[in-house]
Amino acid sequence: MTGTATVALRRHRDRRALLLIGGAAVLTLLAALWSLGVGAVAIPVDVIVNTLFNLDGEKQTYIIMRSRLPRIVLALMAGGALALSGTIIQAVIRNPLASPGIIGINSGAALFAVGMTILLPTVPQTWLPLAASLGGLTAAGIVMLVAHRRLLSAAHLALIGVAVGFVFESGVDYFLITSSDAERSAPLIWLTGSLWGRTWDHVGMSLAPLAVLAGMAMVLAYRLDLITLGEATATGLGLDVGRQRLIMLSVATLLASVSVAVVGVMGFIGLMAPHIARHLIGGGHRLLLPLAMLVGMLLVTLADGVGRAIAPPIEVSAGILSALIGAPFFVYVMLTTASEQET
Amino acid sequence: MSITLRGVTAGYGRDRAVISGIDMEIRDGEVTILIGPNGCGKSTLLKTVGRLLKPRAGTIRVDELDVLGSNPKTVARAIAYLPQDPLVPAAITVEQLVGYGRAPHQSLLGLRSARDNEHIEHAIAVAGIGHLRDRPVAELSGGQRQSAFFAMVLAQDTPYAILDEPTNHLDITHQIETLELIRRLNGEHSKTAIVVLHDLNLAARYADRLVLMKDGAIRADGPPQAVLTALNIAEVFAVDSRIIADPIYGKPLCVPYPTGHG
Repeated sequence: MTGTATVALRRHRDRRALLLIGGAAVLTLLAALWSLGVGAVAIPVDVIVNTLFNLDGEKQTYIIMRSRLPRIVLALMAGGALALSGTIIQAVIRNPLASPGIIGINSGAALFAVGMTILLPTVPQTWLPLAASLGGLTAAGIVMLVAHRRLLSAAHLALIGVAVGFVFESGVDYFLITSSDAERSAPLIWLTGSLWGRTWDHVGMSLAPLAVLAGMAMVLAYRLDLITLGEATATGLGLDVGRQRLIMLSVATLLASVSVAVVGVMGFIGLMAPHIARHLIGGGHRLLLPLAMLVGMLLVTLADGVGRAIAPPIEVSAGILSALIGAPFFVYVMLTTASEQET
Repeated sequence: MSITLRGVTAGYGRDRAVISGIDMEIRDGEVTILIGPNGCGKSTLLKTVGRLLKPRAGTIRVDELDVLGSNPKTVARAIAYLPQDPLVPAAITVEQLVGYGRAPHQSLLGLRSARDNEHIEHAIAVAGIGHLRDRPVAELSGGQRQSAFFAMVLAQDTPYAILDEPTNHLDITHQIETLELIRRLNGEHSKTAIVVLHDLNLAARYADRLVLMKDGAIRADGPPQAVLTALNIAEVFAVDSRIIADPIYGKPLCVPYPTGHG
């Protein structure tokens, strides 16, 4: 192949990647706009646009600016964070079935968040991301420690993650059941991945950490490429595999934990988004990470919007909807990877 | 230049050491091939030099560079290591894979320089995989895949290349192709290669120097004629054999037979 043909081909590929990422961004924006309009009070798109640019009446302004906009911003933030987390974890563990939920991070974060709310009611809610991060790190730490000691395979690691996740989940259930104080436990409904009742406060306490972590994820992109080559090849290419793995898993754990702290456990987003993105754009993380992030944003925004559109004024939580789609997706991925490994 | 091993002892977990007290010098410009029965420690030795396994004792040096104590990237600019059956990542093209060979020469962001691109193009051309460059590695045949990984090692542009059973799972056509490529890299690109092979006769044909191992120690070391002898084969593999000169290259050819048939 001649040099010019090569360059032309590469340019074509770059353009396709840019189109995909741009397309995903536009779709996400449209979904967010649509989602602003649906719910107990339906609001037409032209009114939404007017309101966003501060041109319309008070009632819409209240609903949109105070109730719907913050939850949609949170949906975007959480979806992006979970997708980045899942992409990193799948690369490090080299397992297409891995995700923040599967290796126990979500449950760990949820347990610490609930624990803080119930055991330390005087601590301000702005500490939730920190508590959840501690929980996520604890769960991930246990899983990694057990796996590391015994030099376990990727499949075993996922199994340990599921087991550890169960322990933390039953802890959450314990808190929810034993706290007879309805006033305190009722707000904990959000832990099931609901964006109901989310405010600008939640955006405020999670935006800065998530932005920093997302930036770190992007900086890790090339090293993630190398780590997917496996420990042996990556070591041969001069990567300090042990240290890099620790950094990567920490970033992934914090991304998922902070998102759990503000929107609860949104299962399967961290599994689905990387898969869809990898299928579209290939395995290079410099392009995969941004696209996966956008797909995650789109999925959560849609799940939240659809949940409000099904039967207003009743809401189906985004966590439930994403699990409804995600669980079959998980089985599908498991079946297709199994058949690939047989060949 | 040379790689020097002094008193290298290594093993896995808390088990008994697989190799112990290995002293060895990999001389520049040679193709050194390690042979020996399963579990003799030849792959373990390569893994130790490739920094995949931390030795319990001993030192490994490339000239003045301490392989075990130095920055991994610095070492990776001197020694390339290709594991046995390297894992194939999902959705990575041949061109991307070859590009990863440049990692030790790049910052952690992996931005390619013009020099990186030159090395990548050169490696793809030498390995003869230009027609495969945009194919996903996972979809290639075993032989094509091996060529792609070889191109990655080439792009790494190191004086030394460690290859752990590069002919594993390949048919005879691709085995010969792979070994010819190693010879060519040695001859035309003055690369020093350290290779583990199972096939004694192919090892004898392609090696400048054969190292015969048993029970974690070196039993014989030298040119193929000196190492591949009936006596050594009997001692290390517990099998009788007759060594003849192969009719084309005149290298030693081992014809094993069950005891009592000689």
